[in-house]
Amino acid sequence: MKGSMGRCRDWTQYAFVGPALILLISINVFPLLYSIALSFTNVDLVGGAWKFVGGFNYAVAFKFAKYGAALRTTALFVCVAVAVELVLGFALALALKDRFGGRAFALTALLVPMMLPPAVIALFWKLVLNGHYGILNQCLGALGLGQPQWITDPDLKLLSILLVDVWMWTPFMMLIALAALNAIPGYLYEAAAIDRASRWKVFRRITLPLCAPLLGLAVLLRATDAIKQFDLVMAITGPNDPATQTVSALLYQVVFRDGKVGLGAAYSYVVLVLVLALASVFVRYMSRVQRREEAGAQ
Amino acid sequence: MKALRIAFVGGYFCAAMLPLIWLLLTSFKTRDDSIAVHPKFVPTWAEEVAADGIYFHANLDGYRELAEVYAGGDHAFFHYLGNSLVIGLLSTLCSVLIGTCAAYGFSRFAIPGGRDWLFFILSTRFLPPLAVVVPVLMMYREFDLQNSHMGLVLLYTAFNMSLAVWLMKGFIDEIPTAYEEAALVAGYTRFQAFRLVVLPRAVPGMAVTAVFCLISAWNEYGFAMTLNNQKAVTVPVYFAGLQGNVSGLPWAQISAGMLIFVAPIIVFTVLVRKHLLRGVTFGTIKR
Repeated sequence: MKGSMGRCRDWTQYAFVGPALILLISINVFPLLYSIALSFTNVDLVGGAWKFVGGFNYAVAFKFAKYGAALRTTALFVCVAVAVELVLGFALALALKDRFGGRAFALTALLVPMMLPPAVIALFWKLVLNGHYGILNQCLGALGLGQPQWITDPDLKLLSILLVDVWMWTPFMMLIALAALNAIPGYLYEAAAIDRASRWKVFRRITLPLCAPLLGLAVLLRATDAIKQFDLVMAITGPNDPATQTVSALLYQVVFRDGKVGLGAAYSYVVLVLVLALASVFVRYMSRVQRREEAGAQ
Repeated sequence: MKALRIAFVGGYFCAAMLPLIWLLLTSFKTRDDSIAVHPKFVPTWAEEVAADGIYFHANLDGYRELAEVYAGGDHAFFHYLGNSLVIGLLSTLCSVLIGTCAAYGFSRFAIPGGRDWLFFILSTRFLPPLAVVVPVLMMYREFDLQNSHMGLVLLYTAFNMSLAVWLMKGFIDEIPTAYEEAALVAGYTRFQAFRLVVLPRAVPGMAVTAVFCLISAWNEYGFAMTLNNQKAVTVPVYFAGLQGNVSGLPWAQISAGMLIFVAPIIVFTVLVRKHLLRGVTFGTIKR
């Protein structure tokens, strides 16, 4: 069919894809270029006179101890959150793989948390996690366990945010893991049964390797999302808590509380490089998985 | 093994549902019951309940008081819900329309560098809002878009573009090209063939895409908070702003408002449950 459109094909195809690309370039690409310029100035949020300061903001950004701490907090958050969600989600998928009564309802109900607005639901989690009247501590009390101060104890604050993140995003891992498990052809398990392979061996040799590509996709997708963590931090501890300050929270603090736009732009560039590196790994990986999916479908 | 499996799934299910059930119960509580030190989880009609019992007086005050303005707010909850609705629906409409056109273009034409453009579109999804918001804010000041519904609509349309294009491309790829070819042979122009032949067949896909775009605009917080402080405040920003309330948070009203706010999401999640996998993986996994 391609080629049958004659001369008008050229401008027709651009008429279809043009609006989307123009929108993305003006709302995403242009601001990024603009912020390079901003990062070399001392522009203030409230406006007023500004001047060119060269690499000053970058020098400050790299020397600022808070920045290193925020990067560490973010890295810790991403690693722990993604690992726990992967293991828990995969375990749930394995347990929910076979049909049983009420499975469709249970699956749909389990998926609800990941669709909810994080900023809104995290506010409610503050009530759940409250040390004195929160339902979580009331449950722990009924079981005879301790009463951790989830939101006020500096050692537990990050854990609380992780808990909410795990609650929200474990279903995501479960959803993708279920798809991976369902795609494994049954004859492999039948062959393994004939060979009297042990459960563990079947899991190691069949289940895990065949699920790995999709689980990898899920991990990358989750990681690129978790690295931006902002909503939960804002709701549960606020942007300037040293125990939980992620990079996005620090950016908010620098730009909107301290008003230092130039410095914020310099920070955001360092973050962008990290995020785009991760995203390009994801994009490459995704096109590989996609090609395999397409080949598998035929 | 089976008992272990049931215990694990059952345990996780109860733990995961607990906050949602608690949200539902809290929305019917009185202010005192919502922060009682003894857990109150059994609703009763009785006006007087024991302070250390498990019963609470169920009432609709939380919902009724949503129409009132809280201390610290300028408007009642429903004003912000209206903002969320206008911004969510308008941006969804724009994303789906522009996204469908682009997806059709990428699906049917051999555009030079088409694959690279598609991945460029996808990569915009990964930009952290807080990293982009500074230049956007400066730009919006120039064009007087700050504090306006239009500003957020434009931003959400752009940020949902990746989702809309990728999801719609998956759906349009599944529509056989034979129909359009027949239409083109019959003398239709490309645009007529798109509008009259392809679009009607793409409606289910567009509906699914719209749900995902709407939910993502509905839930968004970072941009909404940093670009607005007066006019186009959405519900997530409004709730977050209540935190500084000195007299403590009115949990019953907040829970009632949250339930109203998340109810459409839960309904939509149930409606598109068969397509959730597609939605969260940008159409990569289609089963």
